[in-house]
Amino acid sequence: MYEVRFHGRGGQGAVMAAQALAEAAVIEGRHAQAFPYFGAERRGAPVMAFARIDDRKISIKSQVYEPDLLVVLDESLLDIEPVARGLKKDGKAVINTRKLPTEIDLGVEVECATVPATSIAMEFLKAPIVNTAILGAVVRMCDLVSMESMQQAIANRFGEKFGETAAKANAAAAAAAHAQAAIGRCKGRRPLAQKKEWLPAWNEIPIGTTLDERIVDGVTVGPGGARQNLTGSWRVQTPRYDKEKCVRCQRCWFSCPEGCIKREEDEYVRWDLNYCKGCGICAQVCPVKAIDMIKGGSR
Amino acid sequence: MSEMRTIKDMPVNDMFVSGHGACAGCGMAVAVKNIMRILGADTTVYVPASCLVVISAMYPTSNFRTPYLFTAFENTGAVTTGIRAAQRRRGLSSTVVGLAGDGGTFDIGLQALSGAAERNEDILYVCLDNEGYMNTGIQRSGATPFGAWTTTTPVGTKVEGKREFKKDIMAIIAAHDPPYAASLSIAHFNDFIKKVEKAKAKKGFRFLHVMTPCVPGWRSDPSMTVEIARMAVETGMWTLYEIEDGEARTTYKPQTMLPVTDYLKLQGRFRHMENGDVAKLQEWLCAKWYLHYGNDMEQPVCATFEKMKRVRHPHEEQLHFI
Repeated sequence: MYEVRFHGRGGQGAVMAAQALAEAAVIEGRHAQAFPYFGAERRGAPVMAFARIDDRKISIKSQVYEPDLLVVLDESLLDIEPVARGLKKDGKAVINTRKLPTEIDLGVEVECATVPATSIAMEFLKAPIVNTAILGAVVRMCDLVSMESMQQAIANRFGEKFGETAAKANAAAAAAAHAQAAIGRCKGRRPLAQKKEWLPAWNEIPIGTTLDERIVDGVTVGPGGARQNLTGSWRVQTPRYDKEKCVRCQRCWFSCPEGCIKREEDEYVRWDLNYCKGCGICAQVCPVKAIDMIKGGSR
Repeated sequence: MSEMRTIKDMPVNDMFVSGHGACAGCGMAVAVKNIMRILGADTTVYVPASCLVVISAMYPTSNFRTPYLFTAFENTGAVTTGIRAAQRRRGLSSTVVGLAGDGGTFDIGLQALSGAAERNEDILYVCLDNEGYMNTGIQRSGATPFGAWTTTTPVGTKVEGKREFKKDIMAIIAAHDPPYAASLSIAHFNDFIKKVEKAKAKKGFRFLHVMTPCVPGWRSDPSMTVEIARMAVETGMWTLYEIEDGEARTTYKPQTMLPVTDYLKLQGRFRHMENGDVAKLQEWLCAKWYLHYGNDMEQPVCATFEKMKRVRHPHEEQLHFI
């Protein structure tokens, strides 16, 4: 059995990519399954999708914990998620980046393909939806399915949902990525963090009351405990603040959905970029244009 | 405590903390965060099934620094009634607030809401109206406006989006004669603050109706959330008024009515709408405009619907705000 795990951000099309890969395998007469990881996170949040391909009927229904192939649709995920967790020693990886495979530190040293899928998607689809482009690189990386059946699967998947023109553009993007992918070995220096999970047992919750705010094994729980979710990792654009222009109207403070804009003593504002999702509302509501959004999620 | 008039008078302590899982540019998060700032720490929050419970309550954590309860979809009115009754019994008196979505208010929760309003329970009910069941993947609700695309009102060759107009929930609430009911917009900051503070101070059943633009459901740009809320008021899709002890008062009246296309073009869910449907929506809006703001000022965009302003609303006598 061949297991694939896709890492992307909500809205990039990781689920559609997994489905198209499975469909390509089905076209070649094999058995396949594809399904997303259902979290409660929204657009821009790190998401996962899975695919399994086998010559026999697949009866396993669990998530993919030890993938043979890892597909990363967004390079910035490498810094915030242990994406390579469980990747087999002889596994493979496909990463959307402008860098060469040897410049990538995945945490596990494996054979790796890199492809500038975002710029390919912008060229063919006029939108940063990278799922079809990266599938071209997946075909190049491993002889799992042929390029013909992959293009057929993309045409089926996207034609039925978005029409024939969209299907053709997506198939062309996949072909371009197939040609542009670079193959090499990535580095394995990065330590892979283990996620901590904690749930209280029944006897740890006081009867008739709610859980109070406290720290258990380094994890904050209880009311207000969600502050540990640093949603700033979702950001693809960052606000830049010009204090000279600011008239201290506080509109940005009121309109920020994250509450990451803080009011100072002197009524000027500052950003807590640990939580900023980069929506750009603050720049839009500012009456004097003291805030503008710059590309990239860095500080 | 001194009266809050502008943003600068608002408390800076966040009761709805950062780190929630809402989409970038979520209008509901803006509304909830500011309502919780004004209500303060002495508040008990109830949330029925909605986006809000999903983004803010990943057990064992929550984004509310106040006591927080969640049960089923349809019983916001009933559960908040129960919380308040338990508080009375124990000699407590914190603000009890139910933060429900439009599905949990307009459709599924209407009976519990009506019951609580009729009994004049001492609770604050907030309807966060994103005009659809956005949490489960964009289905139509009673709050979805005419012509809007949803997954259950798809755009095809025969039917193009929703065929029914938005339910007037405020008129239903007004018929219960509550001590306080108001419609709010996240784009009118000072108006928002005054109404939430007034609702906090009153006793009895209080109702707040907030428009909260939804980025994935409305197919809009994340940065335009507040602008869409502002355009809704300028085009008449949303009207700002309050009903206090049976007396209605318009709190903000736009100078001139902008054509509804200014509002529609900001959102992908209306992209398919053709001239016939736009005119139908505009005609409905003109009737609503003259109903709320009076017909002494003629609106240029309504000139083609000259007959409209003479038409009396069928339930005119029953509505408080005329």
